[in-house]
Amino acid sequence: MSYKPELTGRWWLKHGHFKRYMLREATVIPLVFLLCSLLAGVFSLQDVERFSQWQAYMAHPLVIIGHTVALGAALYHAATFFVLFPRVMPIRIANYTLPARLMVAGQWAAVLAVALLCLWLVTGGRV
Amino acid sequence: MTQPRTCYVDISRYDPERGDQYPTMQRVQVPYDDSTSVLDVLQYVKEQVDSSLSYRWSCRMAICGSCGVMVNGIPKLGCKDFVRDYVAHKGVGRDHAANDAPALTIEPLAHFTGERDLVVNMDEFLTHLEAVKPYIIDPASRPNNPSAATHSQTPAQLARYQQFANCINCGLCYAACPQFGLNPEFVGPAAIALAHRYNLDSRDHGKHERMQVLNTHDGVWSCTFVGFCSDVCPKGVDPAAAVNQGKVESAKSMLIQLFKGSSIGDSRS
Repeated sequence: MSYKPELTGRWWLKHGHFKRYMLREATVIPLVFLLCSLLAGVFSLQDVERFSQWQAYMAHPLVIIGHTVALGAALYHAATFFVLFPRVMPIRIANYTLPARLMVAGQWAAVLAVALLCLWLVTGGRV
Repeated sequence: MTQPRTCYVDISRYDPERGDQYPTMQRVQVPYDDSTSVLDVLQYVKEQVDSSLSYRWSCRMAICGSCGVMVNGIPKLGCKDFVRDYVAHKGVGRDHAANDAPALTIEPLAHFTGERDLVVNMDEFLTHLEAVKPYIIDPASRPNNPSAATHSQTPAQLARYQQFANCINCGLCYAACPQFGLNPEFVGPAAIALAHRYNLDSRDHGKHERMQVLNTHDGVWSCTFVGFCSDVCPKGVDPAAAVNQGKVESAKSMLIQLFKGSSIGDSRS
């Protein structure tokens, strides 16, 4: 005789660690919203009227809030991913292992570089 | 002489020979001081309160990996976890028995089949461990080859796998892993960490045999990097890192087979 404990669908409510994990996984939801908005933008390029409608949609306060949440979600996911990266792919050069802190800093530096490049492209090189 | 401080502890009790269908909680009052471990609490209960209490233990120094239990819902080694850390927030020196809320709840390791009280059946874990062949495989050094050279290894070669060699098979990572809780067929953190440990060993030639297990859905790919296994590991093994490094190895192994046209898991990379 023995008993097998069942894991219910609410297992992730047991600890803060599991809740943070689920939050990390849930960041995909606002990002899907952002992706749909961008896809709609691509399809709206077919004619001028559709494009102006899409511009109006993008300027709606609720959409701006949604996209701001998506930015926050992307940054949170990046922060968790960047910390995990050195554990998954440690970089060894001869007998030297690159410190995890350096790898995390390098990834954030890359984010900053890409963000600045995008800003430069969007502003037409005025920044 | 000052009176010893005391606190209440809830302990999960289950005795199928008594007809129990499910575990129940038994509340006991136990004395403690700054050096009292959870294992000391269990030993006090067995010797002074109820001799029928069943639990596993051996070395009392976090080497044997026998005394794993859930303490307040977190997998812990009983010998390495101290009562003082659970009552400290209430103020040192106060008699916590005045408030009969339990400071600790001690339960058997989660996700395993309960056998009796705090004793669980570890067969699932041991089956997974056996499947990954956690030992050095080197056909050239078998006893029928007395002329084989002795194994030598440089400190740099040792450093590649040493962290993963610290596993004591306590099973805490399995109790922490929701993927194992949902799917017991998942090979799991400790077995994969040990497979990875031998795959990284310069003396080993058995990687292709282990990859057959790791490449499957129930191998490395069932892991979603919850990461709690590494948090609870009492030896700092970081099994989550091993599992996810195993995913990189598995992806490489699958790619090689794609080009070779051989069956999955048969890579001799």
